[in-house]
Amino acid sequence: MKRLEKLSTLRINPAKTLHFKYKNKNLKGLSGDTVATALYASGIRIFGRSLKYHRPRGLYSLDGESSNTCMQVNGIPNVCAETTLLADGMEVKAQNVAGSPETDLKGFMDKLDWAMPAGFYYRTLHKPARIWPIALKQVRKAAGLGKISAEFQMPGKYDEIYPKADVCVIGGGPAGMSAALAAAENGLRVILLETRPWLGGFFDYRTAQNGAGLSLSQSVRQAAEQLEQNSNVRIFTQTPVVGVYNNNLVTAFQKGCETDYFDERYLEIRATSVVVATGCSERPLLFENNERPGVMQIGCAHRLAQTYGLLPGKQAVFSIGHDLGLEAALDLFDLGLEVLCVADIREDGQDPALIEGLQQRNIPFLRGWVATRAHGNKTLHKVTLATIPGTLRKDFSCDLLVASAGMTPLTGPLSLAQAKLAFEPYTGFFIPRQLPAKIQVAGRLLGLNHPATIEASGRLAGTLAAGDCGVSVESRLKEAREKLNQLPGPDQGSKLVTAPVQGRKTFICFDEDTTVKNVKQALAKGFDATELIKRFTAAGTGPGQGGIPGHNLPLFVAQYHGDIKATAMPTTVRAPLVPTYIATYAGSNHDMCKRTPVHDSQKAAGGVIRRIGVWKRARYFSKDFSCRAEIENVRKNVGLLDASTLGKFRLWGPDALNALQRVYASDMSRITNGKVKYSAMCNDDACIIDDGVVVKRAENDYYFTTSTARAGATVEWIRYHTRYDGWNFHMVNLTDAFGVINMAGPNARKVLAKVTDADVSDDAFPYAAYREFMIKDTIPVRSMRLGFVGELSFELHVPSSYMQALWDLLTEAGKEFGIRHFGLEAQNVLRMEKAHLIIGSESEQRTTLHDVGLGFLWSRDKSEEKTVGAVALRQTENQEARLKLVGFKMEDPSRVPKDGSIIVDNRIRGYVCIARHSFALQEPVGLALVDAPLAGEGTRLQIYEDECNGQHLYATVVPTPFYDPEGKRIRM
Amino acid sequence: MALTLTCPVCGKRNGYEFRYGGEEKGPRPDEAGITPRSWCEYVHMNQCVAGIQKEWWCHKDGCGVWFTTHRDTTCNLEVDKPEAQS
Repeated sequence: MKRLEKLSTLRINPAKTLHFKYKNKNLKGLSGDTVATALYASGIRIFGRSLKYHRPRGLYSLDGESSNTCMQVNGIPNVCAETTLLADGMEVKAQNVAGSPETDLKGFMDKLDWAMPAGFYYRTLHKPARIWPIALKQVRKAAGLGKISAEFQMPGKYDEIYPKADVCVIGGGPAGMSAALAAAENGLRVILLETRPWLGGFFDYRTAQNGAGLSLSQSVRQAAEQLEQNSNVRIFTQTPVVGVYNNNLVTAFQKGCETDYFDERYLEIRATSVVVATGCSERPLLFENNERPGVMQIGCAHRLAQTYGLLPGKQAVFSIGHDLGLEAALDLFDLGLEVLCVADIREDGQDPALIEGLQQRNIPFLRGWVATRAHGNKTLHKVTLATIPGTLRKDFSCDLLVASAGMTPLTGPLSLAQAKLAFEPYTGFFIPRQLPAKIQVAGRLLGLNHPATIEASGRLAGTLAAGDCGVSVESRLKEAREKLNQLPGPDQGSKLVTAPVQGRKTFICFDEDTTVKNVKQALAKGFDATELIKRFTAAGTGPGQGGIPGHNLPLFVAQYHGDIKATAMPTTVRAPLVPTYIATYAGSNHDMCKRTPVHDSQKAAGGVIRRIGVWKRARYFSKDFSCRAEIENVRKNVGLLDASTLGKFRLWGPDALNALQRVYASDMSRITNGKVKYSAMCNDDACIIDDGVVVKRAENDYYFTTSTARAGATVEWIRYHTRYDGWNFHMVNLTDAFGVINMAGPNARKVLAKVTDADVSDDAFPYAAYREFMIKDTIPVRSMRLGFVGELSFELHVPSSYMQALWDLLTEAGKEFGIRHFGLEAQNVLRMEKAHLIIGSESEQRTTLHDVGLGFLWSRDKSEEKTVGAVALRQTENQEARLKLVGFKMEDPSRVPKDGSIIVDNRIRGYVCIARHSFALQEPVGLALVDAPLAGEGTRLQIYEDECNGQHLYATVVPTPFYDPEGKRIRM
Repeated sequence: MALTLTCPVCGKRNGYEFRYGGEEKGPRPDEAGITPRSWCEYVHMNQCVAGIQKEWWCHKDGCGVWFTTHRDTTCNLEVDKPEAQS
């Protein structure tokens, strides 16, 4: 198709050709084209088939108001071709077609509409019940437009930003631009969001004069250039708004252009004030076959020519209800379109200059006439016009029908901001009656139409927004109001809802194939409210998000009830206002994790790294996931474990002890110098949430550890539970400041003695003692003798910066004693053999301190401190029917049950927390939480493993610990 | 997050930075002679006001302070001068 290349309003670059593929053909478009306009330029008129009836669908609007031009682009289904810019090498496919869009084998569905009344599958396909499973398959097959392959991987780069602004202006048309400029002139930071790739809104493509000797297009492009120079204004184009929330939080997404580093970017903007200047779309005209390819809206036809250089047809009929339609008819006539007739719904109220223009060009003009039927099997070839009452009729052969009933204000962002909308009879719009705090409105969505009025209303809104931000604007406000008052106000809107039609194919919603007849069926069923009809007929629930039926449906329903003013209510709008990729919401993949100071050397030593909570940790050090070598080396020689992820805290100040007493179950006043105290924290239900050790480093100065998982929440926890007390203490989280090495095994002392002059003999540094000393006279360590893995062990806490040095020193010094690393899995088996618990593995939300056998930690003599959990500990102490932690051995030692297997008799009685083969005991052992009556020693447990096919496993409750019950080895 | 809260130390911030700490219920009750029922009521039962409620928040991703504020639960907005509105 030849383009009109000389127009000054063009947004395409005729010099730059882009190539793309459609139906296995190589087609050409121009830089600046959307996918839809490039296809249109290549002569494509049918873009796809409709959801239910497989009716041909074509270009109707250019802003994605319907699913007509949803296509598969580069493998991504349901891409809106109207709003997606063409790129070189794109592969475009039509959707919902069997064959091609032009000859769809399922086209016969259009004749079966009688079998598919509104809500038919809720109403019919369940009687008798056995047909539903069969029907379900068919409904599923027919549902949806695009198809996606199971292997599909979403391509592209996605990002997110969280900018702040004083004023956020939604809509970069003339009103929004004026508002942005007015706010920026008051020294405020402004963000301007525009859906299209350029500013200018409905001025951008118009050649009408603005009164100062320039066309609207020229003047608005000059203004856009000025605005782009303004350093106070940040402009985002190709950025549709998807949500508006409390406290003026605006969410949007930006499509990247060639030079951007992202394909799409999610924006979350916090603004002090928001100006909504979204303007209008067109209200579709309801008549028979109103979506036949060849029927399009005014703006679509006008912009195809002026913006993309494409004459939309050869012979055209206009059936319109707004002056923009008259303007488009004149303009397109001048560009070479044969205009057979212009029918205007309105009897009067037209701009006389436009009427005169029609007369000068000898274009027949019919007042009070409207299109009632589009003819043509696949695309339009004839139109029937009629008077509004339907008494007179005329036919015109044509290939283009420009049809529009009037304007529809785009109030989505206002509705989301909880503005109450009400029907305004003069304009026929749903207009906000009351605005939420710090939200302003400007422009066409208020019914304004005169260019100067639109700009003046933008200035006023921008000034009001500046006032919201605390700028003193009284005089400017007065000036802006006076200026606006001198200009023409809103235009009267056209009243017509439906043309006088007889047939069954007048579509109120294109996406869901909802006809006027379907709406009548819903009304006949008693669904009287628009919201209910929307749900019953699915009108407005498609990808267009109500873009087509949003205005017509409530008007139609209100008209049916006989009183538009009293009953017209818009349906509720919800975010996202525009279909948005989930990939865009997900943003870029920030895998935010922490690494310990010896991460790299563990990895180099063969460590298999796994993500555990916020940390990356070494789980295994060999391919043998039973970790036999690592485990046996700890039992026989000595092993090194990186335990840097432990929570580590300093708590000090005059009330430090009070704070500890509040959160720990034990009596923390009994901590002695140079000794570690093991204790646990409970919540107010007595359930165990954490365990760890506390040492007293000086008077009122404590150092304590928590489990890895609790490291993040501990400071918050302690502050929460002391919030009423006004105690004087301080806390600092040292988790990342200190690395921890657990050196465990019978040779541990020999290794340590090699690197320090401190006396580490059992007499000088016995079990459960705490010492601080220097390694090689350089590295300060805080050392504890603990026994988590059941062997002689030294836990060495060192400043993170020394961690690597100490790790290397010990690895080197331990060579002669058989030292090697061990990972988390080895530790897990080692500690299980000792029945030492890990919170979250052997406990859950409802597990109390008593249940895991740690009730002895609780000191009942310190009630004056109001220990967290103490009341419930007392109340649950002798409670029956609780799950208790027990150890078990398997009857058949060749089988280890999976973690999480359930313990059953005729009902569920508990579950396996952990079970592993113990190399020390040469048989499997495990820990389980079981109903108290089953917790007695010698009880036989029946274990039901996932996918066991009824073959239960059997175990016997045995005393714990399994390994070294006297604890001799930890005291070596 | 649409919610904003005003930290007494850091000022008005995005709700993501905070952790909810429940309704303001007063300090822990005296433990002597407390019944399981009355204890459970203190720990678990809430007023669930539809309107302005005094509640605890922790500025977990900021200064770490626990503070009380008033929030209108019907619109999820922090209330500046609760006395004037209640």
